[in-house]
Amino acid sequence: MFKKGVLKELFDGLFGKTWPMWVGGILLAVLNILLFVIKYPWGGSGGYINIGQNLFQTLGAKSLGTGTPISLHTVALLNIFIVLGAFISSLFSKEFSIKVAPIGELVKGLIGGALMGIGATVGIGCTIGGFFSGVPALSGGALFLSLGFMLGTFVALRYLLWEMEALPKISMGKSCTLIPGTGKKTGWQRWLGWILIAVVLYIFSNYTAKGTALSKILGWHIFIALILGIILQRSRYCITRAFREPFMTGEATAPVAIIISVLVVLIGFTVLKFFGVGNAGETAVRAIEMKSVYANFWLRALIGGFIFGLGMTVAGGCAVGTLWRAGEGHVKLWMSALGFTIMAPISKTFIVPWITKIIPESLRSKLFLPDVLGYTGAVVLILVILLLWYMFVKWNEKTGKFSAL
Amino acid sequence: MQVDQTLDCKGLSCPMPIIKLAKTVKKMNSGEVLELMGTDPGSKTDVPAWCEKTGNIFLDQKEEGGAFIFYIKKK
Repeated sequence: MFKKGVLKELFDGLFGKTWPMWVGGILLAVLNILLFVIKYPWGGSGGYINIGQNLFQTLGAKSLGTGTPISLHTVALLNIFIVLGAFISSLFSKEFSIKVAPIGELVKGLIGGALMGIGATVGIGCTIGGFFSGVPALSGGALFLSLGFMLGTFVALRYLLWEMEALPKISMGKSCTLIPGTGKKTGWQRWLGWILIAVVLYIFSNYTAKGTALSKILGWHIFIALILGIILQRSRYCITRAFREPFMTGEATAPVAIIISVLVVLIGFTVLKFFGVGNAGETAVRAIEMKSVYANFWLRALIGGFIFGLGMTVAGGCAVGTLWRAGEGHVKLWMSALGFTIMAPISKTFIVPWITKIIPESLRSKLFLPDVLGYTGAVVLILVILLLWYMFVKWNEKTGKFSAL
Repeated sequence: MQVDQTLDCKGLSCPMPIIKLAKTVKKMNSGEVLELMGTDPGSKTDVPAWCEKTGNIFLDQKEEGGAFIFYIKKK
């Protein structure tokens, strides 16, 4: 497509090889800090809920509906354009194809997605909003949500290993791959990628040209989502993997990459919260401090996180892992996105009110760690937890004590 | 290359190919060669990384009709 030269070299550098996950992690961290400043830290599940609510509204199920259209919802737009960004990235890297998994796997995708929909609404947050943003946001609930993810992942991994022995047929059977990116006559994939980039930039400029504060915010979410999608696909950034791998193969690459990226976000968010930066004209400093701190400390977060952890391991991707893999053409993750989108509004409307009734308010409160420990204490606590996690995954990588494979 | 066993992971996404790979190699004899076919682009880095970690020998990889094919020799 390009004549040999510096541009081709650049293109091949970006799309020829997988980026190290930690490189992707740092870039994602920087963009997350930008999202904090523009409006709110990065999240995923809120977008699924909104899209699901709009879907139910269209189908006439008003009780599951919403007042916010997708086109005006920042997180819903983030999700949609992350899929598109990952799709474009996989077209450029010739990794796109429609990968149809055996039927049993597709069902697992659907169930995994549905469990994530329940977990994210019960625990308030997914691996992005609850963990990648929640932990650096100095949220006490986020720590328990993360613990829940780990426990859920551990249990679901045991299930997958058992399934492989007892019910191997689930992951066997008819599968197919459509329009692969390798081989002859695949030049159209890269052209399609460029056309889609132009389309996204056109939508971005349309939003920003409207000139209202909201339209500018929405426009920039679209642009940032495009970049997020590309980074996610190229670096195969996977939080599910970070929680799962110590207990599966034992490799520490993914956990270390995630630790590095959380550290970067931690520095950024702490500064922003400490100084009350970010849309301060409209928002009180306290409201800025409480960004990504939800009323889930601690039992609600733990239960929700556990259910979410089960779901993301069975589906093979968390809220955002589902998005970029869906863009790459994995039909199992299309099913996961569908399950998440359908179940999240149902859970929010029917399960969450029930959960909040049985869990006392003291076990589902908002805890901003600096309120208890001061900023220094809160940051030190998170640094210690990250350090302990780092030591555990590196030790386990060498000894394999907790690895099943 | 003489292949002793074939493992079809086409259509499967992470983590299924690696779980299947580990389980299959465990049942093979030392020196035997496994041919693994998959469509998950993640396998391009995951399979060599798994071999390095476990000490099994990563022999070769190629792409054919949208599938990635890996050859692994059990240690």
